[in-house]
Amino acid sequence: MVHTDTTVAGIRLSNPMMLASGILDENGYTMLEILKKGAAAVVTKSIGTSERTGYKPPVVVPIQGGLLNAIGLANPGIKNFRGEMEIALRGNKPVVGSIFGATADEFLQLALDMEEYGATAVELNLSCPHVAGYGTEVGSDPQLVEDIVTTLKSKLKIPVFAKLSPNVTNIVDIANAAHKADALVLINTVRAMSIDIHARKAVLTNRYGGLSGPAIKNVGVRYVYEVRKETGKEIIGVGGIENTNDLVEYVMAGASAVQIGTALYTQGKDIFSRIEANLEKFMEAEGFNRISEMIGVAVE
Amino acid sequence: MIVKIISDVERIGRNTVTIRFSWDQKVEPGQFLMVWMPNHSEIPISISHTGPLKGITIRSYGETSEAMIGLRKGDRIFFRGPYGRPFDIKPGRKLIVGGGSGMAGLLPLVDSRAYGVVSARTSSDLLFADRFAEGHVTMVTDDGTAGIRGFAIDGVKSLQLDEFDMMYVCGPELMLKSILDYVAHKSIPAQFSLERTMKCGIGICDSCSIDGRQLCTEGPTFSKEELMGMHEFGTTRLTESGKRIQIGRH
Repeated sequence: MVHTDTTVAGIRLSNPMMLASGILDENGYTMLEILKKGAAAVVTKSIGTSERTGYKPPVVVPIQGGLLNAIGLANPGIKNFRGEMEIALRGNKPVVGSIFGATADEFLQLALDMEEYGATAVELNLSCPHVAGYGTEVGSDPQLVEDIVTTLKSKLKIPVFAKLSPNVTNIVDIANAAHKADALVLINTVRAMSIDIHARKAVLTNRYGGLSGPAIKNVGVRYVYEVRKETGKEIIGVGGIENTNDLVEYVMAGASAVQIGTALYTQGKDIFSRIEANLEKFMEAEGFNRISEMIGVAVE
Repeated sequence: MIVKIISDVERIGRNTVTIRFSWDQKVEPGQFLMVWMPNHSEIPISISHTGPLKGITIRSYGETSEAMIGLRKGDRIFFRGPYGRPFDIKPGRKLIVGGGSGMAGLLPLVDSRAYGVVSARTSSDLLFADRFAEGHVTMVTDDGTAGIRGFAIDGVKSLQLDEFDMMYVCGPELMLKSILDYVAHKSIPAQFSLERTMKCGIGICDSCSIDGRQLCTEGPTFSKEELMGMHEFGTTRLTESGKRIQIGRH
């Protein structure tokens, strides 16, 4: 008998797939729909202390092998997000609140609000590659990462996920700085850009953006493998997953669960149920009964 | 981005132009493009001419559309698309109801038998009322400067709906809501094309969503039955930041 449920940071997931932050997760009704379509959990759009409209479009560019985006951390502000959380939580599945801030204090206030709204866990965006003062700028400073994670762990009852950036020299240093987090989320998008040769300028209004999709899958697998091997931490793998084989590759590299985002653009919302059905077949054929039997089997 | 050379710019009303360009691409009525004005922004524009010589009709309402109506023959136009679910065109007699610039996306549906209800705030904003056959149009203006004084729904109420096989509606959401409420329990089938804040055009950013469905990929056209089950239709929407607001009267 094959079981596709899994556990990460003590949270039970009906299958290993969560919706990744930043995709279809600012409207509560959309998150509810994604949960109905088979995601085991959703991660919200990253929410900050105050309302931000983000960059002017173009904020997304479809490219070979994925998407390039620089949305600019558009969000309604934490106080305006309570209603969306209430709607999403009607799905009776885990809802992870993604938050971004510049200081440990900001992260703490946001996390406490998310906890009060009923979030199952918080995910710290330490890795957005395209907004000054946030994301990677915070997440590439090991001391600041340690302060943020330590502060949150001392005040929160719900688990803390730290989402790290591949845009650093040594991700293991950052992973070690975040060692008090209940799980690490690897990886955020890879800093990139696209130039329109007829317009003779960058397509994204912000010029630089983050690359996601199949183009970065093997970058993500490598980071998951390396961090799992060096730290032994629980990991949620993300980056370019669009079929069952991709998911299994991340799990064998050391991920206990995965997140899916860009593939909703290429594969549609049925991707969760399709992957789950194929995952059962794969596990049966390969003689795995539980996800836990596959986690990190490739790590040596 | 797709880049094309503009073959013609036709001024068709106050602050309104149609930009024409050749593009060998199948496009269906109801679909739209994400049009990029380098140094400005990228905005969704419905396709008003779907033949081999394509056309988009733009009314200036903001900085980017203002720049767009200044484009001239020979300039380049940059865009992505076509995007969106087109209207499901049914054979028979069409009732076409357009509010303001919403008429642009309905234009490809107009044929010799179609009947139009064309509404706008004031007479100079009425769009494409002249494209219907003689006697086949009811004009409605908020201020009474042309046709019936009132809203699009007043034009619809003045007609015998059982003369039509399908109703196609595009305009501000509250206008659509007033019409949906009126036809909800009548036998006439209807499709509505919605307009909401849109950023990505490809179904991922969640800005344009309504009840879990994305206007840009699963819409912008929805049937009467689809809309009747939606909580968000005509009540709330998200702004550019993702803040939920009440839909105000346009």
